[in-house]
Formats: sequence, C-alpha cells, structure tokens
Amino acid sequence: MNWSDIGTIAPVVASVLVAAAILIVDLALPNRRQAVIATALGGLGVVAAVILLQAGHAGSAFGGAYSLDNLTVFLDAIFVAIAVLTILFGVDYIEPRGLPIAEFAAILVFAVTGAMLIAGSTDLVLLFVALELMVLPGYVLAGFARRDPYSTEGAIKYFLLGSFSSAILLFGLAYVWGITGTTRVDGVAAALAKVAAGGSIQPGLAMGLAFMSAGVAFKMAAVPFHYWTPDAYQGSPTPITAYLSVGPKVGAFAIALRLFVGALGPLRADWLPVVIVLAAVTMTLGNLVAISQDNVKRMLAYSSIAHTGYILVGLAAYAGGQHSGLSAILFYGAAYTFMNMGAFAVVAALQRQPGVSSQIATFAGLGRRDPWLGALMAVFLLSLTGIPPLAGFWAKAYVILAAVQAGGWLTALAVLAMVNAAAAAFYYLRVVVYMYMREPAEELRPSSPGLLFRVGLGVTCVLTVVFGLFPAIATAATNAAGVFGG
Amino acid sequence: MNLPILSLITFTPLVGALVLAALPSRHEELIRRTALGFALVAWGLSLLLLAAFALGPAGFQFNETVDWIPAFGIQYKLGVDGLSVLMVVLTTTLTWISILASFGPIKDRVKGYMISFLVLEVGMIGVFIALDFFLFYIFWEIVLVPMYLIIGIWGGSNRIYATMKFVLYTLVGSLLMLVAILATAFAFQAGHGGSWTGAFDYTQLQAWSAGGHFANDLQILAFLALFLAFAIKVPMFPFHTWLPDAHTEAPTAGSVILAGVLLKLGAYGLIRFAVPLYPYAAHTFAWPIIVLSIVAIVYGAIVSIVQPDLKRLVAYSSVSHMGFVTLGIFVFSATALQGAVLQMINHGLITGGLFLLVGVVYERTHDRTIAKMGGLAAAMPIWSTVFGFFILASAGLPGLSGFVGEFLVFVGSFGVAPVIALASIIVMVLAATYLLWMFQRVAFGGLSDFLRGLGGHLTDMSGTEMVTLAPLAIGIVVLGLFPSLVLDLLRGPAQSFLAAAGVAVGG
Repeated sequence: MNWSDIGTIAPVVASVLVAAAILIVDLALPNRRQAVIATALGGLGVVAAVILLQAGHAGSAFGGAYSLDNLTVFLDAIFVAIAVLTILFGVDYIEPRGLPIAEFAAILVFAVTGAMLIAGSTDLVLLFVALELMVLPGYVLAGFARRDPYSTEGAIKYFLLGSFSSAILLFGLAYVWGITGTTRVDGVAAALAKVAAGGSIQPGLAMGLAFMSAGVAFKMAAVPFHYWTPDAYQGSPTPITAYLSVGPKVGAFAIALRLFVGALGPLRADWLPVVIVLAAVTMTLGNLVAISQDNVKRMLAYSSIAHTGYILVGLAAYAGGQHSGLSAILFYGAAYTFMNMGAFAVVAALQRQPGVSSQIATFAGLGRRDPWLGALMAVFLLSLTGIPPLAGFWAKAYVILAAVQAGGWLTALAVLAMVNAAAAAFYYLRVVVYMYMREPAEELRPSSPGLLFRVGLGVTCVLTVVFGLFPAIATAATNAAGVFGG
Repeated sequence: MNLPILSLITFTPLVGALVLAALPSRHEELIRRTALGFALVAWGLSLLLLAAFALGPAGFQFNETVDWIPAFGIQYKLGVDGLSVLMVVLTTTLTWISILASFGPIKDRVKGYMISFLVLEVGMIGVFIALDFFLFYIFWEIVLVPMYLIIGIWGGSNRIYATMKFVLYTLVGSLLMLVAILATAFAFQAGHGGSWTGAFDYTQLQAWSAGGHFANDLQILAFLALFLAFAIKVPMFPFHTWLPDAHTEAPTAGSVILAGVLLKLGAYGLIRFAVPLYPYAAHTFAWPIIVLSIVAIVYGAIVSIVQPDLKRLVAYSSVSHMGFVTLGIFVFSATALQGAVLQMINHGLITGGLFLLVGVVYERTHDRTIAKMGGLAAAMPIWSTVFGFFILASAGLPGLSGFVGEFLVFVGSFGVAPVIALASIIVMVLAATYLLWMFQRVAFGGLSDFLRGLGGHLTDMSGTEMVTLAPLAIGIVVLGLFPSLVLDLLRGPAQSFLAAAGVAVGG
C-alpha cells in the first residue's frame, strides 16, 4: 500500500470518515439534530466533490483489487445522490416518530460506502466484502422502526434471505476461483476466455455460474428470487424504503457489471439465456402482481421488481452482442433512482403524521388538497410509466433500442417489455385516478413538508424532467461509463 | 432563416399553459379568456401558414431542423405539406371552438382543464408537423396524458373506466410502435455503415425505403406494429371498442377534439408513415385492411341504428365514417386518397358539430337518452334547424362537404373493385336511416313528458353556442361547394403518397 492507493479510493475513505463524524457529532452534541444533519449533508457534499475531482481519471489500487474508471465515478455519483436524497427525505419522517436521526444517517452512509466500494471492485473477494458492507446496514435500516411489527418482520425476512443469497453468491465465487485460480477480475476474464475458446464449459463452472446468477438475482430482486422485496419495502419506514428500492438495486447491478460483464464476459453466450428468462419472468410477474395491490408502497415494491426486469433487458442486450446495452443499464439506473425515490418521497410526505397509512385511499383527492404534491407524484408516476418527455421514457427507449439492435430473441424480449410497460400504466395511472378523479373519504390535512424535504423533491423532479427533455446530458456520461474493464 | 412559424404555432399553446399555471385559480373568468386568447393566436398563426403555403412545389415547406440527440441522429425537425397544413388548421380551429364551448359547462377546476386543453393542442399540432420519426412518437404520446385527464376528471359518471380503457388501448399500440420505430432506425443505421445520421429523419427514411432497402420481414413486422397503433386510434373495426365509452363519458369539448382531431392522428399516421415507409407490407395487407374498412363502415352504421344514447350514436357513426378514410387510403388511388383526406376534414367538422349540438341539449336536460326526447323542434327551433343541417351533412347530402368526400372515395375505389362501391351505397341508405330516424325522434312530435317537466330551462341556443357552431357550418358549405380548395392542396401529397407506395401515377 502507498499514498497513491489512498488517493484512488479517496471517495470511499471520505465516506467512512463522514459516517464516523456523524456519530462523533452526535456523541459530543447530543440532541442537536441540526448539527447532525449539517454534518451528514456537508460531509456528503465533500464526498461528492472528491468524486467529481476523480472524473476523467483512471487508475487502480491495491494491486488491481480496486479500479478507478468512468464506471466507478458514475456509480459513486449516483450512490452519493441516493444518500443525500434519503437524508433529505428522512428527517421529516424519522423525527415525528421519535427515531434517532444520527444512527439513521450514520448507518445509511456506511451502507453507501459499501455500494461505492462495489463500484470500484475488480477483485472477487473485495466485491463480496463490499457487498456485505452495503447490505448489512440495509438490514438494520429495514428494521429501524423497531416498535413496529411490520418493520421487524420485513427486516427479518430481508436479513434471512439476504444472508442466504450472500452465501450462495460466495459459493459461486469459490467455484470460479477454483477453476481459474485467481480472484482478480481481469485474470478471471483472461482464464475464462481460454475456456470459452475451447468450446463447452466444465460442470463445475456451470455450477458456479448458476450460484452466482441466483445470488445476484436475489440482490436485485429478480423473479423468482424476489420474495423478500414486498415485505421489506412495505414494513420499512418510507424514506428507508425509498433508499432500499434504489441503493441496493443499483448496487446489485454494479455487481452484475463488475462480475458478469467484467469477469464472466467471455462466457456471455452461456449466461445470455438465463438473463433473457430472468428478464421476461421478472417484468411480467412484477407487473401482474403490482396491478392487484391496494397499498402504494407494496405496489411500488412490485413495480421496482418490474423495473429490474427492464434493466435486465439491457444486460441481455449486452450479452447478445450490443455494447450499448451497458450504457442503457446505467441510464436506466440513474433515471430510475430519481423518479422512484421521488415517488416514495411523496408517499413519505403524506405519512409525515404518524398513523397515516400508505393505502391508495390516502391519495384520494390529493390533487385538490395538495396541488404541488399531487403534480409531483403525477410526474414521477408518468415517468415510471415511460411517457415522454420524461426520464423514464428515455430509460426504456435506450434499453429497447439496444435489445432491438441485438436482434433475434432479444427483439421478442423488447416487444414483451413494451407490452409490460402498457400493462404497468394501469397501476401507475390508478394512483393518478385517485389523486385527481376521486374525492377523499375523510378529510386529511395538507402535509406541508419541511424545507429539506422540498429541496429533495424539487431535485428529483427537475432531474426527471431535465433528463427527459435533454437526455444527451446524461448519455455522455453513461456512454463513457459503459466502457470499462479493458 | 425565416420566422419559425411552425414552432410558433406549436408552442403558443404551451406558453398559454404556462401563463395559466401562473394565474391564481380563483380568477376563473380570466383563465377562460386567456386560454381562448392563446388558442385564437395559434389559430390565427395557422391561417397565416395556410395563406403563405405555396401550392406549386412538391415536398415539405417551412422546414425547421435542430439537432436534438446527435448520438442517435434524433432531430427536432418540422415541416409541412398540403396534408399537414390542412390538419393543423383543423386542429387549431376545433381547439378554440372547444375551449369556447367549455366556458359554460366546465365550472370545476377550470384552470387544470384549460391547461390540459392547451397542452393537448401542442401534442396534436406536433404530430401533424413532425418530420422526425422519434419526435413524432413523442408528440403522439404527449397527446395521451391531457386527454386521459380531460375524460377522467371532467367526464360523466363512468369516466374512470372509460379513460383507463382509452389509455391502455392507446398505450399498447403506441409502445409497440416505439419498437417498430427503433427497429426501422436501426435497419437504416446498419445500412449506412453504423452511422445514426438521418436514421429518424422522415425524408431520408423514405428515400431509403424507396430504394427498396428495407427487408420484407422488417417491413411486415414494423408495418403491423404501426398499423396496430394507428388502427386503434382511427379506430378501425375490431379495435374500436374504446371509442364509444370514451366519447360518451368525455365532456362535450373532449368529444369534439377526440372525434375531430384524435381520430385523424391515426389516419394521418397511416398516410404519412405506415404506407410510404413500408410499401411492400402495405400492399401485402391492403386487402385485409380494405375488408376491415368495409366491415367498419357497415357495422358502425348498423350499430348506430340501435343506440339509445345520442352521444353513443354519434360515436358509432364515427366508426362508420372513418371506415371510408381507411378504405380511401388502402385502395391506392389519387382520387380515393384525396377523398379520404377530405373525409377526415369533413368528419372533424360534422361530427365535431354534432357533439357540440348534443352538448347543448345535455346542458339543459342533463340527459342524452333519445327515448326521453321529442318535440324539440317546437321548444328549440334554432337548435333543431342547425341540428338538422348537421344531420343532413353527416348523411351525405349533395352540396355539403360530407357528400364530396365519400363520393371521391367511391370513385377511387370503384376502379379497384366495384363490389366496394356497392357496399358503400348500402351504407348511404343505412346512414340516412339512423340519422333521420334519430332526428325525427328527437325533434318532431309533441314535447315529451320529460322535456315538459323541465319547463323554462329548455331555452334555445345562446349566442356563444352559435358562435362555436358557425365556423363549422360555414366550412361544411364552403367545402361542399368548392372542394377544390382542399383538393388542390392535396394533389402534391397524393402524388408523393402513391409514388412512395409504389403505384404508377397515371392520369
């Protein structure tokens, strides 16, 4: 180790320091929530600055275990944005419920540190450690409302299935290590390229591939490995659900990029069929079940499963020979982050007073009661539906374009994705129906969220619209980040 | 560079919507007038466009091109030919009429309503002038959301069912169209050594298609996807089942725009994109489509006879009338195509007027059941006279515009298959049956008990209501007497349509 290694992993280091600083401030100045929030937001601002300073640079640290490239920078930026938004949305929700804000912020920043470490991992062992660093705080966050039985139930399910899937993933990694004799991503790729050139793959490698696919599919909540998602999402405090729906998901896709594209790329013809089936089943089942949900958080949970399916179409397009599938995944990840967090944030805003449920009836008459909140929710839902000119539309368009370019079975997958998108319109627009076309059963007061919350909502909405009107702003970054790993 | 008049027309309503958004919602009268003002400005600009449009040269005029997403060659490209100009004028005319017609009936959430209408106008105009395939798609989708809100918020008792049905039908078609658009662009890109330049540009795609470069199986699949999207919008039998619900539940002005412009979007898409870009597929499927068109013409007319509700009757008659349009497109003859486009305009004027007139009665009676009406000729003489005029126009009375359009489609399709003309003549009789019978039940006889119970509420048409109907009536008479005003504009587009469809253009 030397000092330049520290420079390369500077964002991760900075992020750990921020988490520690939050805890220290809380210890030194108890009951001073402003100080904690200022430390968290200011610290994350520094982390963001460090990431931006790294933009355009490349390098590796610790003998190639960690790589700094455009992909790392892009994903780091998304993860920091997720952390900042979660804190902006969280304060208004956590405080009235008497939950500790400093723990919330610190645990969240630790989780995001793990996600950022995943982004740069080019070693199988480091990848696994980073993954655990991301998901362990996630379990704690899911059970953060510890007096709420739903939160505890969701957290336990999330923890048990999550640990199980981590073990499965690790088992798969062990097979790959056993066969290739290395844990470095580029070394694995080189060894597997020889295997792929030699024709059929050994049973051991096929087993490893299967275990790794299952493990990663668990983390990204792909069907049939999605059972933890609805309970964990519904039970968690809503701002934390917002985090869980994007942070670990983008993190799981970061693993997919580093592991399946970076290390297992040479075998992509072998894992392509698996991804096609996963994508088809995931989006179809996610949408079908979402249609029948009456709880908006649960509905958004199933919708997030469906979005996993759409993103997987991009991965399938890559495996089918279209490199543009990777930038499509990244664009989707960014667009999905902002529109989905925005949608959950509106739910959180309505639930600011403890006791308000996330049933769809809560939304009745929102357009009249709270015109701004209603309009924002409508924008997020239309974007999730994929209506132009909003970010969600381009996300789908790029994924579909890559799939159509790859041709063959992938064209059929693209058509299936579009049929699914039309079906999804039903449940997204159902919320709009409640907001604008139905009168509330009982009179609810406008929720009037605080300043931080409004800033967060404003940012997510502006980004959803700006990426929609000028997608070229984001595609420059996603195209650059889509080229990695030599 | 000249004045970007197309962008001005398109975005005047958007500016209006933003201005409205800034106004406090309690100033309802100001909001109404501001909305009408912006719609009238857009209308005036579109009339200027019509006046400035040069009749002679082929191709597109007033072109505007700006790179939008260079990485994929997607442009903000606008341009008009005779067909587009006519559709734009139809759109702007019906929009201000609809806004004016909403002054009285819409009393709740006026601001949101007017904003929706102006945004809707942006989308509709955009569809007719976009010369980039992707931009076309975007405008196409923009139309969806305001119409969804207009039906769902300001519609009748069953509005939520109707609006969801409308959205889901339309989305299934349009999302498959997106796949087809991307596949087409990709085929173009692959044929140009991987360069995306021009891959969404209508003129370049069309030239590439004319060179026979699109493979037959691509054409078949892409055409089917586009056809589905457009056929749902037109709507063609058997994709029409959303239409009666949407029309019946929409507020009056919503029905006017739905019938007057939204259905034309589908027909326009067939003429502009589906046939010229995929001529092989268009010829392959021409006969099935002709058959479906005839089924729509006959079926729409027969079902209209038995409708108990005035709006539903007009809605089903739309299915029949729009059947002539699709028939006129797919027989591939210059006369029939001109007739089809004229029929599109006629249908906009006549059906728009009929919906307005039904709305007038509904405002006073809060009912549309034909069986409850009777004797309106005595109670509302002006209304009954105007209604009678529009009924006759819809039935195809010679001298009014409805006749010319259908007649041209007959003449054009007779050369292809005389049997088509036979079917169409039967429909003339059916149309007279359902329209005149309905008129008789509503207008003649003694005043019904239901109407008598309303007493003094049953006033005749107001000045505002007459203002909304006058331009439509004038249009119907003028186009009936001087159809060449429109047909001259369509000569160029008809020639290029046939050339693109691969049909030899003869005398």
